[in-house]
Amino acid sequence: MTRFLIRTFLCALAASGLFAQQTEVVLSATSSAKLVLGMTSPKVTGVDEASVASEFTAVLKRDLDETGVIAMLSERLPANSAPVKAWKEAGAQWLLNTKLTKAANGDLQLEASALDTAAEKGVFTRTYNANKIVPLRYLAHYLADDLVGRLTGEKGVASSRIVFVRQLSPGVKEIFQVDRDGAGLVQLTRHGSLTLSPTVAVDGRLAYITYKGGAPEIWGQRRKDGPHEKFYPTSGAGGMLSSPVWSPDGKRLAFVQGDRRGNTDIMVLDLATNRARRLTDGNGINTEPCWNPNGNQIAFTSDREGGPQVFLMQDDGSNLRRLTGEGQYNASPAWSPNGAMVAYVSRFEGKFDLFVYKLGEGKAYQITTGVSTSESPAWSPDERRLVFTSNRFGSSQLFTSDLSGRQILRLMDLAGCQSPRWIRGR
Amino acid sequence: MRYGTYLVPAAVVLTLGSLACKPPKTAEQIKQETQAAFNEGVQAFKDGKARETNPYVNDKENPHKMQGWYDGWDKAKADKDAADKAAADKAAADKAAADAKAAADRAAAEEAARKAAEAEKAAAFKAAAAKVLVNIHFDYDKSEIKEKDRAILQGIADFMKAYPAAKVEIEGHCDERGTNEYNLALGNKRAAAALAYLKTLGVDEARFTTISYGKEKPLCTEAKEACWSQNRRGEFKLK
Repeated sequence: MTRFLIRTFLCALAASGLFAQQTEVVLSATSSAKLVLGMTSPKVTGVDEASVASEFTAVLKRDLDETGVIAMLSERLPANSAPVKAWKEAGAQWLLNTKLTKAANGDLQLEASALDTAAEKGVFTRTYNANKIVPLRYLAHYLADDLVGRLTGEKGVASSRIVFVRQLSPGVKEIFQVDRDGAGLVQLTRHGSLTLSPTVAVDGRLAYITYKGGAPEIWGQRRKDGPHEKFYPTSGAGGMLSSPVWSPDGKRLAFVQGDRRGNTDIMVLDLATNRARRLTDGNGINTEPCWNPNGNQIAFTSDREGGPQVFLMQDDGSNLRRLTGEGQYNASPAWSPNGAMVAYVSRFEGKFDLFVYKLGEGKAYQITTGVSTSESPAWSPDERRLVFTSNRFGSSQLFTSDLSGRQILRLMDLAGCQSPRWIRGR
Repeated sequence: MRYGTYLVPAAVVLTLGSLACKPPKTAEQIKQETQAAFNEGVQAFKDGKARETNPYVNDKENPHKMQGWYDGWDKAKADKDAADKAAADKAAADKAAADAKAAADRAAAEEAARKAAEAEKAAAFKAAAAKVLVNIHFDYDKSEIKEKDRAILQGIADFMKAYPAAKVEIEGHCDERGTNEYNLALGNKRAAAALAYLKTLGVDEARFTTISYGKEKPLCTEAKEACWSQNRRGEFKLK
């Protein structure tokens, strides 16, 4: 009974998050105020109205709602042809007009313009041309990203993707990719074995661990869109290997190598020379390396002081210091794209929750709370949300959360997912 | 008289010459001598003195005696002997073949027996391995060998000593609590702990490989301690 009540409460919490338009973004690096955007129905020529409604309008509204900086005007909407003044009175600060045209050869054209309702002058105009193989929903993503870029100076993440590991059968896990809105699921590896810890370089090159040879090996792409090949060990047995992570410049790969005495150390592999260098020499566990955006510091998890805690060091192993203070089990650090925050997980009362440590303040903030566990945080490229795994609706699904922890959204209904990474799509 | 100057010496030379040379044998003589040589041979053969070497071989002046010499040659006997010899050869060959086949059969039987023995040995090895290679368990976030698992590790050490060719992979596993990567490191630590303990029991550590699966291969997937305690384990697999 208690469990049922708690679950109901959680669902209500999640639902309220979904509909909370004016959620204050407590931890956002930028302003917490949101711009209210009104949107007229698209003017359509040559495209099926129903598909525009579901594949364009609905996708664009959801994209903009989830940006964290735009609130869609959704009540007391003026008529489509109403004057700008009517939209202003309804509360819209910007008004978005769109026009979709399909040419005879199937190519699509999207003309979008936004108007500041107070000054009654244009703030955004852009035309998108797409050939017929580009789905309508991608046009919506591109427009949402550019609108956010116009508003905040940094492109949005509607067209971003999430790369993650999914279990196909016991002992077989492969790497998948899905669009940020949960559409377009694609399988990226087919090794038929345990395949873990994906990492994606800025230019899209993938690296990961696979057990296809009986023991773990680091595989990846040496060039963009290139074949997947073995990176490490270059010869012989490599022992226990895990957690490859591309450096921000995509030239080095931090990873973890364990020896037969039970120690695991952070290593850095230089892809140009194929030389690996050990950064830690601690007895015990050092794992989960994570670069800062400059590529000169590494956050990692170590049990050198007892339980697992998050530490920081320079990329040559010097200047080691402990980051996390409270809690018996702090792990899985993820450095934010702008470098000011480190997300991590902390165990509390038998389950894990997400925390964000603000380096400037020297303080940690709790993001998720609940009876079920939340793990493996990864930052969105715009630093406004975190993707993570949670058991709240069954076994290990992918969710995203804003930094207030109030707007938690399930990415898709797919169980057995782990190790998500969030990357820009274009 | 005038011709006598030449004829007289010529007659003298011819007379002296014909006196000095033996008169040539007549055909009749040759026939008789050939017959005599034959008879002599027959007699010798009858006396049991038959010789394979013809005594007239070197008598260049009477080659006909060599022709007449009887050496006991008997065609019928020779044919019979040849037939006997062929039969004997064939019998010997048959016997050899039979022997070879018997030997092959014996070898095959031995091979089969050896294979059976090997299979039995392998089965015994497998059975022994299955008996001793059982899981050990760990406490949460710990990699120390528990008191109650020492007997299992002792059994594995004894097994490794009894079968010097055996090689074993030690797998480290964890429960679902904790991060994937930290649990991979913890699984490595657990496999290493089992390896270190087996080393203290006197088994060459080169005969073991270690691998960590972290929390990626759970035995049991429910979120409760009864399940977690099964998953925090060390497994031993023949390599």
